[in-house]
Amino acid sequence: MSGLEWFIERYWALGSNLSGDEKTPQAIRINPLKTTGTELLDILSWQGVKLEKISFLDYGYKVIESPFSLGASIEYLLGLYSLQETASQYPTQALAPSPNDRVLDMASAPGGKTTQAAAYMQNKGVIVAIDINRDRLYATENNVERCGVTNTSIYHLDALSLPDIPAFSKILLDAPCSGNYTTDNHWFKKRTEKDIERNAELQKRLLTKALNLLESGGTLAYSTCSLEPEENELNIQWLLENHDVRLEQLDGPGSPALTTIFDAKLDDQISHCRRFWPDQTGTQGFFVAKVVKH
Amino acid sequence: MRLMRRFLRDIGSKYTLNEVINLNNKRFTSTVKSPLDLTELVYTGTYLGQNRQRFEPSSILLQKLAQEPDTHKVYLDRDTAWLFVVGKDIFEENILDRSDDVRLGGYCLVMFGEQCIGYGRYETSRDLRVVKNLFDLGDFLRREQE
Repeated sequence: MSGLEWFIERYWALGSNLSGDEKTPQAIRINPLKTTGTELLDILSWQGVKLEKISFLDYGYKVIESPFSLGASIEYLLGLYSLQETASQYPTQALAPSPNDRVLDMASAPGGKTTQAAAYMQNKGVIVAIDINRDRLYATENNVERCGVTNTSIYHLDALSLPDIPAFSKILLDAPCSGNYTTDNHWFKKRTEKDIERNAELQKRLLTKALNLLESGGTLAYSTCSLEPEENELNIQWLLENHDVRLEQLDGPGSPALTTIFDAKLDDQISHCRRFWPDQTGTQGFFVAKVVKH
Repeated sequence: MRLMRRFLRDIGSKYTLNEVINLNNKRFTSTVKSPLDLTELVYTGTYLGQNRQRFEPSSILLQKLAQEPDTHKVYLDRDTAWLFVVGKDIFEENILDRSDDVRLGGYCLVMFGEQCIGYGRYETSRDLRVVKNLFDLGDFLRREQE
């Protein structure tokens, strides 16, 4: 099963009003390792860039208007800000890594969340950033360098190959997923139900690996940019049924995650997670869960 | 190490190189201790730069060197700085200011305000004095296109 109509009907059955042509505005994230918000905002404003603070993000701004490409300015090259879509700034903020943490970024490329974590950690503590795709890891390296990050080691590894040692206090798993149509014009033509099932299985394996690597009392932020419940709420339901964990309440953007999926009733705790419907949030589709290991 | 030391000497830096790690021809210093013993390390700690035809300093190293009072520096305005980061050489008349130690035939950091955007050589080209662009931060954009 696939195609625009099939997917949109699924989303309607989940309670959304999506039309299938929602788009996401550009957003930037200020890098506090290199600049204060005020300083950078003044410079960008002087150059004619109009920005609007995103209320639920610490360092995020929506781009209203820019006379030039924000990915090719002197300030961008100096690492004073990064281009990062609004919803994708939320998982790291929810994880809230601190300078004392040992953080694992399990699928780090292209490095936006890695550099964001380093900023929260004030370049202290340790980040281990890994990715299975060597070509995409070059982007992580470039972003880490550009943003002045110095507390990170990057490895070209498959997360599933890591040893089962509970060595990390916080883990970010922005899982490989089916994506969503708001950032990909051809998404509906490319994706099928089989893709979703395949991704959901991989995500379960990654979730298990993440918990094996997380110390007791540690926190895992799990996110996808998928709207499909199999990759989101249903994976978290599976997690609750198979691992000794609890979910922390997330507030702010989006709506509480679904606890009824196609007539199936899920654990009420799942409403602690957040789901981003693009028509309601003005962002791409997204899902975030904050999981604490007992 | 030879090319990096020469670069540091040429721009007047007193930067001390301690325990430099070499990964795929890239140089790092690092105090990052991974909680797991892992292989396939590609980047760690403070990236210093890499050897190509000459030593290409990292953005992180350039910003450190910019803070040293004795490094040789020329200062540009925004428009000229942009020309520099897209790879252009800079005519002398477009240099806003320069430190006293910038001499003909010598190397210098190229500054935009307090930030370093690359380095070059102050030289004569076709009877004109220019800062020849040897490396600039536009390299990030060029890497993205590779």
